[in-house]
Amino acid sequence: MIEIKNVSLWYDKNHQVLNDISETIQRGQTVVICGPSGSGKSSLLRCINGLEYFQKGDIIVNGVSVQDPDTNIHQLRSNIGMVFQHFELYPHMTAMENITLAPLRVRKKSKNEAEKKAMEILERVGIPEQALKYPAELSGGQKQRVAIARALAMEPKIMLFDEPTSALDPEMIKEVLDVMIDLAGEGMTMVVVTHEMGFAREVAHEIIFMDKGRMIEKGSGHDFFNHPKNERTRQFLSRILI
Amino acid sequence: MGFLNYTFDWSVLWRHPYGNMFIKGVVTTIHLSLLAWMIAVIVGIAIGIFRVLPIRSFRFAGSFYVQIFRNTPFLVQLFFWYFAAPLLLPEPAQEWLYDNVPNYAYWAGVAALGTYTASRVAEHFRSGLLAIPHDQYRAAYSTGLTTMQTYRYVIAPYAFRIIIPPFTTEFLTCFKNSSLAMTIGVMEVTHTAYYVDSFTSHGLETTTAASLVYLCIALCVALFMSFVEKRIYIPGMIARGQ
Amino acid sequence: MDMDVIARNLHFMLGGLVLTFELAIITLAGGFLVGLILAMGRLSSRAWLYYPATCYVHFFRGLPLILVIFWLYFLSPVVTGRSLEAFYAAIIAFVVFEGAYFAEIIRAGIQSIPKGQAMAAYSTGLTPFQCTRDVILPQALRNMTPALVTQAVIIFQDTSLAYVIGLREFLRRVNLVDAREARSVELYLFAGLLYFTFCSAGSLLSQRLENRRQRNRV
Repeated sequence: MIEIKNVSLWYDKNHQVLNDISETIQRGQTVVICGPSGSGKSSLLRCINGLEYFQKGDIIVNGVSVQDPDTNIHQLRSNIGMVFQHFELYPHMTAMENITLAPLRVRKKSKNEAEKKAMEILERVGIPEQALKYPAELSGGQKQRVAIARALAMEPKIMLFDEPTSALDPEMIKEVLDVMIDLAGEGMTMVVVTHEMGFAREVAHEIIFMDKGRMIEKGSGHDFFNHPKNERTRQFLSRILI
Repeated sequence: MGFLNYTFDWSVLWRHPYGNMFIKGVVTTIHLSLLAWMIAVIVGIAIGIFRVLPIRSFRFAGSFYVQIFRNTPFLVQLFFWYFAAPLLLPEPAQEWLYDNVPNYAYWAGVAALGTYTASRVAEHFRSGLLAIPHDQYRAAYSTGLTTMQTYRYVIAPYAFRIIIPPFTTEFLTCFKNSSLAMTIGVMEVTHTAYYVDSFTSHGLETTTAASLVYLCIALCVALFMSFVEKRIYIPGMIARGQ
Repeated sequence: MDMDVIARNLHFMLGGLVLTFELAIITLAGGFLVGLILAMGRLSSRAWLYYPATCYVHFFRGLPLILVIFWLYFLSPVVTGRSLEAFYAAIIAFVVFEGAYFAEIIRAGIQSIPKGQAMAAYSTGLTPFQCTRDVILPQALRNMTPALVTQAVIIFQDTSLAYVIGLREFLRRVNLVDAREARSVELYLFAGLLYFTFCSAGSLLSQRLENRRQRNRV
């Protein structure tokens, strides 16, 4: 479903962010990417839906090359949901308006239809009663669930999560992870950048460890945690699993 | 001691012919400032956009404009527009200007105030744009919105609310600066106050009246803006400073 | 273009710069002092300090500087019985006016210091005065230095307004030369360039200080 082929990305001549990354993600899989900050995890994620331009390699999503000039990038993106570390809800719109903006403008749905769908999704993420509130009136966990709902409203085939819980207070992390675990259980294809190793252990089909723009190690949940091959992975895990 | 020697005569404010002069002065102040403000907003927003474009020469031009206009006194700019600018025109155009534009001072004032205020508006507009996090754009793009839609539905309404308070301040500064047009002979309200004093020697009353005009304008604008801000109030946005 | 006109009158025009700097420096010092007092009033919880200071600030921020200069010019004979020398009229007007702007800069600087700092100071037994002088103000000053430098640049530009009551500072002298020589383009370009040199140096310094402050923020 997602094929990443030898992708390299430079921010400028002396600053290589991604170094020859290759990876294939099957339909229905959940892949967790972890690694220290600055390792290029988020950049890789942004390359998948064309938010970042990479100089070398190719990414093919659903048989379509992301950087092909003939690709309708907006259409491609509308089929890939994305969730951000700092939520990035539109502060001037209610939760409902945040969720329905793209269905109305991109999918050209009717207002009724879009709002009905939005309510369904809000029920699914457990906060239908917050529909008419503005982002500033929501807790962090609620904001992130609205952000997930906003992505789901486009009925995406793939969901990208960029550290969805790292800006949250500990007591709110679980409510967001629960939503993500449900999604994985329903067979959504997900790429998740996170340090929540409990989540990774529970749902990830594959875990990737990145450092300094390189893919250091990848493996199934069991192998990755119990028999890490690379010393850097071991170091990272021993730090993060305390 | 001297205080007793002065008898206030407030009638200089409405007595013929001074009353009419004052009304004309107030009217001139208002339309001079409004015209200049329109120029300032149009030019300022254009320059502000120049300053964030990914094209180096545009950024340079924008920054050059702002530096020039912000780092020279407004009075020098005003004198330049009034005394020097016509001399840069070809001879016949100069003749035409002096013969056919009797209130050239007024237009020089409008041009000077407009272009000067534009440099300040540009800076506020730019910092308004820069205050919007990158991921906010990415969030909009990730749902498949086009660039136009992203700016129209997400960025513009957001930026609009950020820039309202500084734009209000600049608008009032524009009014106050219009008083400097008196130095090139424009009969706005400050000049009128000075002028009436030269006939009546009741400058204290006339300057008090002129001060009240500015304070009234400031008060009206403040009241109007607090009404506007209430209309577009959204929790968590716009915290108007003092 | 006739650059000779500048050379011929250079000495006379630059002579005005002395007065320009004099006005700017006195205003800077006086305005800061007035601003500091007003800022304390604006931050005070005592109504009799807070309201007068607040009214003062709003009043003068609502007026054009030129009008304040006239006010003083017309008011002083009434109060003192004789007219004030133009230099003093200008200085007083500048200090009174810029004080209102300084007040807001200083207030913002003080408010940028977290409440915990004051609590920590009080918890070690410092008095409110000591706390302000030894703990809050030094930090606040560092935070507001860029804004103060910017304000200094504005004051330097504002001194040109002393022109209206006949003070022969730099711009007034350029003006006089122009009246005699009728070379407006050259003369005002020269004046602009000269102001620009000083002001952009100031703006650059302010920018540097601000960048450094952002970097060093804990």
